[in-house]
Amino acid sequence: MTDSADGAHFDAPDNGSAAESAFVFHGNWREFAPIAFTNLLLTIVTLGIYRFWATTRERQYLWSQTQFIDERIEWTGTGKELFFGFLIVLLGLGLPFFFLQFGVQALAAQGYPEIAGRIGFAVLFLIIYLGGVAQFRGLRYRLSRTYWHGIRGGSDDGGFGYGWSSMWKNFVGMLPLGLMIPWSMASLWNERWNAMSFGPHRFTAHLSAEDIFARFLLFYLIPVALFIFALFAGFGAVTMGISNIESLGPDRIGIAMAIVAFLFILLFYGALGLIAMAFYAKYFRAGVEALTLHTLDFRFSARTMDWIKLFIVDMLLVIGTLGIGYIFLGYRHWKFFITHMEAFGEINLDQLTQSTTTRSKHGEGLLDAFDVGAI
Amino acid sequence: MSDFSVWHFDGVQAVRRHPRIEPVGAGFVLADDQQRTGPFAFADLRYHGRQGDADVYALADSGGEERDGWRLGLSGAIPDAIAAQLPAKARYGGWIDRFGLWPAAGLFAAMSVAVIAIGVKAPEWTAPLVPAAWEARLGEAIVGDLGGRFCATPAGSAALQKMVVALDPNPGDLQVEVANAAMVNAVALPGKKVVLFNGLIADARSPDEVAGVLGHEIGHVRERHVMQGLLRQLGLSVLLGGFDGNVGGTFNGLLALSYGREAEGEADAHAIAALARANVSAQATADFFARLAKDEEAVTGKDDNALIGYLSSHPMSSKRRDRFAASVDKRRRYAQVLTAGEWRALKNMCVDDKDVADGGVLF
Repeated sequence: MTDSADGAHFDAPDNGSAAESAFVFHGNWREFAPIAFTNLLLTIVTLGIYRFWATTRERQYLWSQTQFIDERIEWTGTGKELFFGFLIVLLGLGLPFFFLQFGVQALAAQGYPEIAGRIGFAVLFLIIYLGGVAQFRGLRYRLSRTYWHGIRGGSDDGGFGYGWSSMWKNFVGMLPLGLMIPWSMASLWNERWNAMSFGPHRFTAHLSAEDIFARFLLFYLIPVALFIFALFAGFGAVTMGISNIESLGPDRIGIAMAIVAFLFILLFYGALGLIAMAFYAKYFRAGVEALTLHTLDFRFSARTMDWIKLFIVDMLLVIGTLGIGYIFLGYRHWKFFITHMEAFGEINLDQLTQSTTTRSKHGEGLLDAFDVGAI
Repeated sequence: MSDFSVWHFDGVQAVRRHPRIEPVGAGFVLADDQQRTGPFAFADLRYHGRQGDADVYALADSGGEERDGWRLGLSGAIPDAIAAQLPAKARYGGWIDRFGLWPAAGLFAAMSVAVIAIGVKAPEWTAPLVPAAWEARLGEAIVGDLGGRFCATPAGSAALQKMVVALDPNPGDLQVEVANAAMVNAVALPGKKVVLFNGLIADARSPDEVAGVLGHEIGHVRERHVMQGLLRQLGLSVLLGGFDGNVGGTFNGLLALSYGREAEGEADAHAIAALARANVSAQATADFFARLAKDEEAVTGKDDNALIGYLSSHPMSSKRRDRFAASVDKRRRYAQVLTAGEWRALKNMCVDDKDVADGGVLF
């Protein structure tokens, strides 16, 4: 007996109105709390080694509470493979880097700064290259460990070519005053996702730099806005304060100027942070929208305000609990991701067959080591 | 409990079946109106956690590898005949499930304490096993001649050598240098090297003060603290995941290498004994420490890193000062370790040496 007589075929909601999203999150934090706290306990008593198993348990819970259309997804990654991935990176890269660093410093101390600088530069390049590879492989790993209806995703590409792309595209992107960064980000997003598949179907991504360029220009607005602000602030200070300024001692003037400078810096970084968030929100929304899988289209509904809310509540949670709240961030971020994900189109279960991609044996070692996000 | 129900994915196609489980010997067959698959052994099932209201199982083949995507979901009241043969449910991971959460946590905590204790103690056992030649090469590799910053003049070098000979019975394998850098500090380095920074000599009011500091650093060399400290630092940085792509500051780490209270005490004892053997009063060293301690109060908040240098790598305490002062024998007639002329030559060595690399700020 199969699900439906007409060949197991589902229609995902085809409009974004009141219809339920194809993605539903069933978890609640009370259920998650015992997992989070026991993970914390075991991570502490094992000097951090348990964290690979902790990550796995956390994901098993989050994935199992995530429903796509009619069925929950399953996380099948293991703590052991994450641990081995970490060991591979530690032995293959960590120790050589450690000794290389040692050698570079020794060279510098002995009066060969040029050679030391050149080696240091080569190491930097290698790290940037591996950062790109890690980002690719992290995504591949997550897809290959995610099952739905007994079918998984993956990629046959090892990501080593992507590492080069990532390196030169990021470099070119920064060249003309950073104006090409939207292009490099969009191009890399596409390159990454076009190499991924789920079941027999390839993802296709067609994000264009134009989609995110307008939002990116906000970054260039800051200096202008701040200049105008400074002009007004100065003008205001002169008109309002000039009569009082002589009554203040030189000390007071110094303090006042320090306060103004402090506020200015706060404003600058605050504005920069907001703009970065606004840009990222747009980038991610546009990126997901540019993504298709066979007959499925995706949407991501979180707007800038949603991201800001997420971030502020994160901060309040962590600060308010003196740091303990940190263990709930993974839960919050996954919930945020799933509740804003939507999918449209149809899936023919008869045609959704098992992925033929190879499953890499080790986990996200590289990704962990470089600490870059998977998506 | 709701009724028992079964779902199944074969891992080949995404279509879900709702078969019956028909026992066959020690295994079962999955059967529905269209097909029968199996038999499968209960022993090959692997627990994969809960999904919704179902317990999910995967299937391992004879090699232990799981069949890609094969899943069996059981929900409701599982019949006893089947439940009895299902594998145990995993929760935290193999070992922890076997012991239970709290016993396992206790066991891990005990193991962690043991690992840390060994990590702290092990360098004391392993350091003497490092061949002297390796250590010498390591010292050469790390420090070399500090980029030509070692000062040398015939008179100054002779004065320095006289001080070393006075303080150590076998000075042949020691390499003591004065480096042209303004910081008030001295370090012991791998390969039996001791480097006195010129700032220390410039700041000292008598050669006996320098002798006390030198005796202390020679103490670190003779007690093999240097290799211990290096191994400890290496071990800790590996153990504590010091691997974060930024392992920088190794040399600076070496400068600030703290050997721990015990080792500092040993080095002090060594210095006091060496001074006594050389018939040099330890009072000057005690005075030097007293001056540093006072300076420490004075410089706190001030931009004077030169003095902070010594204090940060050599914990200062009145106890240490008192220990040096207490070793002074009031009735004994002490000699100065250097004559006035030799002391002048040592003080001026870095100025008189025309070839020495510019002091500047080191690192």
